[in-house]
Amino acid sequence: MSVIDLLTRVDSICKKYDKYDVDRQKDANISGDDAFARLYAVVDADIEAALQKAEQASKEKGKASAVAINAEIRRTKSRLLEEVPKLQRLAIKKVKGLSSQEFAARNDLVLALPERIQAIPDGTPAAPKQTGGWTASASRPEIKFDSDGRFDDEYFQQTEESSRFRQEYEMRRMKQDQGLDVIAEGLDTLKNMASDMNEELDRQVPLMDEIDTKVDKASSDLKNTNVRLKDTVMQLRSSRNFCIDIVLLIIILGIAAYLYNVLKK
Amino acid sequence: MSTSDPNKLLTKADKLTKLSFTRWTADWKSATILYEQAANSFRLAKDYENAKTAYEKASKGQEMLSSPWDAAKHMESAAALAKELRNWREVADFYRRASELYIECGRPQPASDALAKGARALEDTVPEEAIQLYTDACTVLEEDEREQMAFDLYRAATNVYIKLEKYTDAAALMLKLGLAAEKSNAINSQCKAYLSAVIIYLYAHDFKQAEKCYNDCSQVDAFLSSDQNRCASKLLAAYTDGDVEEIKRVAQSSAVSHLDNVIIKLARKLPTGDVSGLKAETVEGEEILDENDLT
Repeated sequence: MSVIDLLTRVDSICKKYDKYDVDRQKDANISGDDAFARLYAVVDADIEAALQKAEQASKEKGKASAVAINAEIRRTKSRLLEEVPKLQRLAIKKVKGLSSQEFAARNDLVLALPERIQAIPDGTPAAPKQTGGWTASASRPEIKFDSDGRFDDEYFQQTEESSRFRQEYEMRRMKQDQGLDVIAEGLDTLKNMASDMNEELDRQVPLMDEIDTKVDKASSDLKNTNVRLKDTVMQLRSSRNFCIDIVLLIIILGIAAYLYNVLKK
Repeated sequence: MSTSDPNKLLTKADKLTKLSFTRWTADWKSATILYEQAANSFRLAKDYENAKTAYEKASKGQEMLSSPWDAAKHMESAAALAKELRNWREVADFYRRASELYIECGRPQPASDALAKGARALEDTVPEEAIQLYTDACTVLEEDEREQMAFDLYRAATNVYIKLEKYTDAAALMLKLGLAAEKSNAINSQCKAYLSAVIIYLYAHDFKQAEKCYNDCSQVDAFLSSDQNRCASKLLAAYTDGDVEEIKRVAQSSAVSHLDNVIIKLARKLPTGDVSGLKAETVEGEEILDENDLT
């Protein structure tokens, strides 16, 4: 037989037994008009995915990646919890082609959903019940604790990693404190210098004012003197006086030259 | 004329000023000029004794010519020369005279400067006189309402007191500084002054006084909300606990290192004497109180 023959045969056999394929049926159902079924299927798929992720997280070696996955799971859980009220509303609606049994079953399914969602392990330790007693009480069988009541010494023992982490944290904090101390001292010195400068400047303000008045007085005196000098020089420079001065000077020089000549002989 | 023998100038000037039969009025103007020239020449020749006398006479001449400013200036020069000659009595006298003349001019700032210079010159040799000069200088400034200039003088005077180991006086001066600072709105200086006063009392091992001083200072709002207040309270608490390590730690803190150098030295030497003795006293006091409460 050739490959093609094999393939056709397999195909026909699958088609014959298709009606026994549960998954296929479910998908077919979903593609119907039933909004509830659709939403429920989506939520279901999300829960499955979250459970798988939780398994992966428990297998994770590195703390950081485990923490990240747990955070993601928590986010998915809160989202799913939000969807639950929607589902409840849809569940109440009557849909044609649905038997009454199925209708009742739907309600129960919706009620069971929140517990299933909470049950997804996301790395947070289970909260203790208020009524005490570590064993699961009979009235609420759905509630599960992650560790099944095994609270022996090992549970509370710090792992190596966490103690190392804490040590590192303490060291870093000490270093920070030291650094802050140094900064504080530097700031103290700065503050002192700044206030000293402030006082010094305050001291100099009245001195500057004094200088200001004195210089003003001196400059006004100077201006006065300048004006008077200008007046005097103007008076002296009147051309009449000038000509007289020059003439007299020439006469004196003439007399001096004459005397000089006379004496030389 | 200016290069002639200064002694000759001096005698000439003396002749001009001495009243005799032929001279009815002393000719101060020319005499003063001659005196100044003589003094300068003496100073250049490093003949301090004669220069000093010449400056004195020049100053007198200026006084006669009713110019107190020049007179004061000459007095200061004379005083500086007297310092060279280590004639401390005269130094003090000259500086005082100079400051009086400055006050006559109506210039208190140079007056206090002159007194401060005198005090600085006498610090090492005649400290009591120096302190007197410092306090006078501060009074002059305070009268003129220029307390801010007085801070440095107060600090210098306190240093002299501490050298003389007169701790109560030193602390009192610090409190006066605080007062002056308050008037001129210099809060930082005020708080530093109060902290210094507390430290001085503690150094003198006078714990009661220190506490009293601290309580007094806490009345001042500005001090109450300051760094220095916290430091002082820590110090006193360390003393009451008798914790030597704590005292040393507070003394190393930054608030103390911003004070005057002399005060820092005192603080580093704390605690003086027996601190545990103080501790026992205070504990007894508390017990007595408890008994009273019960009865």
